[in-house]
Amino acid sequence: MLDTVPAAERAAADGRPRLARAAPFVVAALAAMALWVAPLFLDTFAVNVLTRSMIYAVLAVTVDLLWGFAGILTFGQAAFFGVGAYAAAMILGTYGATPLGFSAAVATALAAPALLGAAVGWLSFYHRSTPLYASVISLVVPIVVTQLIYSGGEWTGSSSGLVGFDVLPFEIEGFFRLAALFLIAVTLAAWILVRADAGRALVALRDNEARCAYLGLNPRRLQILLTTALAGVAGLAGFLFANASGVVAPENAGFLFGTELVIWVALGGRGTLLGPVLGTVAIDYLAANLSGDLPFLWQLLLGTAFVAIIILLPGGLADLVRRLWGVLPVGRPQGAVPRLVAQAPGSAAAAPDAPALRVEGLAKSYGSLTVLENIDLEIRAGELVSLVGPNGAGKTTLMRCLSDGTEPFRGAIAIGGVPTRGLTPNRIVGLGVGRKFQVASVFESLSVADCLRLARAPHDGLNPVGQDATLGLPQAALDVLRMTGLDRLLAQPTRLLSHGQKQALELAMVVALEPRLILLDEPTAGLTKAERTTIGAVLKALTAELGIAAVLVEHDLDFVRQISSRIVVLHQGRLVLDGTVEEVVGSELVRTIYAGGVHA
Amino acid sequence: MSKSHLIGTVAALALAASAAQAADSKPIVIGVPVGLSGANSVVAPSVVQSAELAVEEINAAGGVLGRKLVLEVADDASGAAGAQKAFDGLIYQKKVDVLISMETSAARNAGLPAVTKGRVPYIYTSFYEGRSCNKNLFVDAWVPEQQVPPVVDAFAKEKGAKTYFLIGSDYAFGRGMLGFARSYIEKTGGKVIGEEYLPMDGSDWTAIISKLKDSKPDALITSTAGGAPNVTLTKQLRGAGVSLPFANLALDEGTAKSMGADAKDVYLSASYVTGIDSPQNKTFLAAMEKKFGSGMRTPNDLSVPEYEAIYLYKAAVEKAGGTETAKVLEALPSVSVTGPRGTISMSKQHHAPLTMYLGQIQGDGAVKVVGTFKNVDPGAQCPKL
Amino acid sequence: MLLILDILTTAAILFVVAIGLLAIFGVLKIINFAHGAWLTIGAYCAVVTAKLGLNPWAALPLAFLVGAALGGLAERFIIRPLYRRPLDAILATWGLGIVVGQLITLGFGRDVQLTPNLLPGTVAVLGVDYSAYRLVALGIALVIGALFALTIERTRLGLSARAVIMNATLARSLGIDTTRVRLVVFMIGAGLAALAGVLLTPLTSVDPNMGVSWLIGAFMLVMVADASFLALAAACLVFGAAQVLISTFVSPILGSIAVAVLAALVLRVSPKGFSRA
Repeated sequence: MLDTVPAAERAAADGRPRLARAAPFVVAALAAMALWVAPLFLDTFAVNVLTRSMIYAVLAVTVDLLWGFAGILTFGQAAFFGVGAYAAAMILGTYGATPLGFSAAVATALAAPALLGAAVGWLSFYHRSTPLYASVISLVVPIVVTQLIYSGGEWTGSSSGLVGFDVLPFEIEGFFRLAALFLIAVTLAAWILVRADAGRALVALRDNEARCAYLGLNPRRLQILLTTALAGVAGLAGFLFANASGVVAPENAGFLFGTELVIWVALGGRGTLLGPVLGTVAIDYLAANLSGDLPFLWQLLLGTAFVAIIILLPGGLADLVRRLWGVLPVGRPQGAVPRLVAQAPGSAAAAPDAPALRVEGLAKSYGSLTVLENIDLEIRAGELVSLVGPNGAGKTTLMRCLSDGTEPFRGAIAIGGVPTRGLTPNRIVGLGVGRKFQVASVFESLSVADCLRLARAPHDGLNPVGQDATLGLPQAALDVLRMTGLDRLLAQPTRLLSHGQKQALELAMVVALEPRLILLDEPTAGLTKAERTTIGAVLKALTAELGIAAVLVEHDLDFVRQISSRIVVLHQGRLVLDGTVEEVVGSELVRTIYAGGVHA
Repeated sequence: MSKSHLIGTVAALALAASAAQAADSKPIVIGVPVGLSGANSVVAPSVVQSAELAVEEINAAGGVLGRKLVLEVADDASGAAGAQKAFDGLIYQKKVDVLISMETSAARNAGLPAVTKGRVPYIYTSFYEGRSCNKNLFVDAWVPEQQVPPVVDAFAKEKGAKTYFLIGSDYAFGRGMLGFARSYIEKTGGKVIGEEYLPMDGSDWTAIISKLKDSKPDALITSTAGGAPNVTLTKQLRGAGVSLPFANLALDEGTAKSMGADAKDVYLSASYVTGIDSPQNKTFLAAMEKKFGSGMRTPNDLSVPEYEAIYLYKAAVEKAGGTETAKVLEALPSVSVTGPRGTISMSKQHHAPLTMYLGQIQGDGAVKVVGTFKNVDPGAQCPKL
Repeated sequence: MLLILDILTTAAILFVVAIGLLAIFGVLKIINFAHGAWLTIGAYCAVVTAKLGLNPWAALPLAFLVGAALGGLAERFIIRPLYRRPLDAILATWGLGIVVGQLITLGFGRDVQLTPNLLPGTVAVLGVDYSAYRLVALGIALVIGALFALTIERTRLGLSARAVIMNATLARSLGIDTTRVRLVVFMIGAGLAALAGVLLTPLTSVDPNMGVSWLIGAFMLVMVADASFLALAAACLVFGAAQVLISTFVSPILGSIAVAVLAALVLRVSPKGFSRA
């Protein structure tokens, strides 16, 4: 049962990626050659304008990675670009065209924006930060940077900018080629990244940040890393800009330039890389040709097109092209499917003596409303404890407290002996907890295989440059896939799955984490009878055979009776009963609670 | 580099040879990069109009060395990025022989690398904060050394002003003007008791105005960015009841009109006001009226230097015997023309001594000349040139 | 004394400028980045009023009506398709702001417009001569605040709006026409923005880009206020005071970016801003 992919399919899967892997390099090499000879055919005006357009296009690629892929709408790339450009101009102005001057300029143009980027990332992304807040910060940063430039006097040239500093000893054709190579290199790197397994993490962040955290990935760290790295790239673009144009000005760092970048990316097509590149070059080149003749009309047309695209065609022009292409009877190859292999159980530290979960005196209230009161609970390895009680009894709140130590609560919770207070969900996952949500929480724009791969990321990492041909999963996760038929749907985009399949996928993802404690919130809600039976069997196997502890919130008492080793009854925020299946099911109290009679 | 350079030189030589033959008929192209959009778009139309008038007059009189003049106007969006596009377009696409224009300092600076690489002369016709030096760049408008002393001298002599408060926008021109004003005031025995700046796009001057009222100076000098910030500051000053002797270094007649009653009594210092009583100015104004009628933009201190600069270029080309850049650059410092502002020659380190006028805004928005200062020297702007 | 008046009137002006944005953000959960453009529309209503030779104060009702009417169109055709894409709505409204700015430029030209002064002169308050108009602006802010509070607390519309704020799905299931509530609230917010535009004319130049410089400040205040009207008042007072104090005692340049920077930091520490306190 190790290998679930038929041999023929595997061969195909092996052959296609090799071609697919080579494709970006071939395209990039062709583009590089074309652009290398382009200055021989273009007039000086076009060469000059396109040099700047291509540098702007590098920024568009960074905006696209942040916004189109990772879902972070940013106006701040202009600020990093400006910092890089000014760093280069100021250093070259002081040290001149010496090797020392250039190396210092490059290093600073990379490091200063990256440092600023790290600070901005730290400010923008924290546990429970909102996407809107990150956008707000990205707006404030260029405003502050521009103000610093204005106030910089002789140092920054204030509003007049800096001019007359030494630049790299190239003719305009040389700068054109340099900008072209830089643009191709950045686009190629971005292309490889987003097609690689690691690139899926960006999309996962955009789709479902909470799920990322509950897979043990640290969304904040990814976002801060991305912001920092792309700030550095923007800074390098700034270095190139300062050299190619021989002048830097405050507007290069301004918020308006930041919005322009977003407009170009939106028109070109966010999330497509090539769309923003072509969009930026085309719009900027057109602007150079047209805006002189009709300055206001040009702005009006651009603004109108932008509004229309945002409303009617969120995928931009690239999406339109793709759709038209899709209409043509050209076969579109499906994404490569990785081969499933069983992974030996991770060398997770042997279960400590401490109980898998221990809750002492847990209480939580929202204002004057008490939701949980004085909960004591202990769960050991191999137990499958069901949490029952009527709506509003506090079950979901309890689950939330268990999986997120930053929830304000009183009392103590320990996982495997480690207190969780103050720990963010991803760190609690690191303690060996897996949580399955009530509404299936998966990554809608990814395939089944990608979702599973992300679940393995904390253990196995993600390939930053390519797509691994195999996907190693623990046997238990493979079993879930096989029993639910998902193993035949690995290439399927998750959004096309049925409700039950999504539930099963999420369960497989949680199991793939190799947790020691699983928290399941109504895993069978909305499932067919057959699906329920399957899930029940999986859960029994997990606990009984692998010694995983499980806490299950469930309404279906028949289901609970069949699979639980213990049942805990919550009522109005209190733990009213904790016993074996027989004890609880036979209890008078439970019957009255469910009949709605008791008001303790 | 050396190879392409060589090819370039050979091509240039070949071109020059063929150009020499066609020189008689080919028109001379004047590039005018100007802020049709953005901050300068209020004043830009008047600049274009005076350029059009100059070209029309010169062509009607037979052109320059028998060649017609042609204008190529391009929008620089009043900023650096737009200026790069505009200069590239004019120099490389339209192949202009010269650039003559009024622009923001950011746009001028952004264009300079293209001017240097493209090897064309550039006459800058906007007053500015001074000390922009490039062998291809000439300036026929004023710098702080010419504009500030008339104001300070008049305040000291006629109003007995000893203490001054300075308010400006935080940008090169604002800081440059007020920095010079401070040094001049201190040199002439006055005292600056406050110097405050707000960002260019700032719109709330409340705290600065309160400080001004608190410190009770004898006179106020402001130097904001043109247009909106100037109007905003003046409105708020008048709203707060400030009525000291008040000189506005960034004020032109057009903006004064849009301030209405708030501009009354404000002093301005300029090398051109419409009320200059000279035959050249009267002829110029009549020609403007005739050409543009009701569409005429009021000529001002930014548009008249454009008009005169085109005549300066004409004189230089005639003296050089052609449009070849090196020869024109050599001729430019030594030629002079007499225009609406008087006799202009860019003879002082690429800058021009100018006659300055101290004006005061009247109730109807007109400017009354209250002082004339002949041939004020621009000082040492570019000692290395 | 001067300082206290400066703080109060600055806060009042910030409040008047931001209240329209708050109304829209509160109910629609959408940031209207065309807010600046609506301020400009209002100011140009004052220009038109003056050209027609009407009483300058007549610009206030005119601007409210024009702003609300144009706001209704914007809601129907631009905002409504984007309720589920709030970040895209920011972009679309920013684009709308560009379009409005260019249309105004094409219609009226780029020039700074001359507007009549609503109330010139100064009055003596407790020993200082103070701008009469700023004091009136303070009064107007209080009146707008009171009317706004009454609308929220005492009218059917206010009740429906509060219901939509708390839980749109539930409100719909209770028979509230949420689409209509959103439309009406957007129109009121846009109308208030235009009204604020008129009130700004004595304080600032009137040109096609005038609104942009007020947008960021208003936006940050609304972020901090997080849909609460009282929190907005508090935020205006605190940040208005910070702006005046920093401008007076440190540097006006720092003062002018104080609102944006301080608001960002407050949000970092307490994501719900002032509404929690």
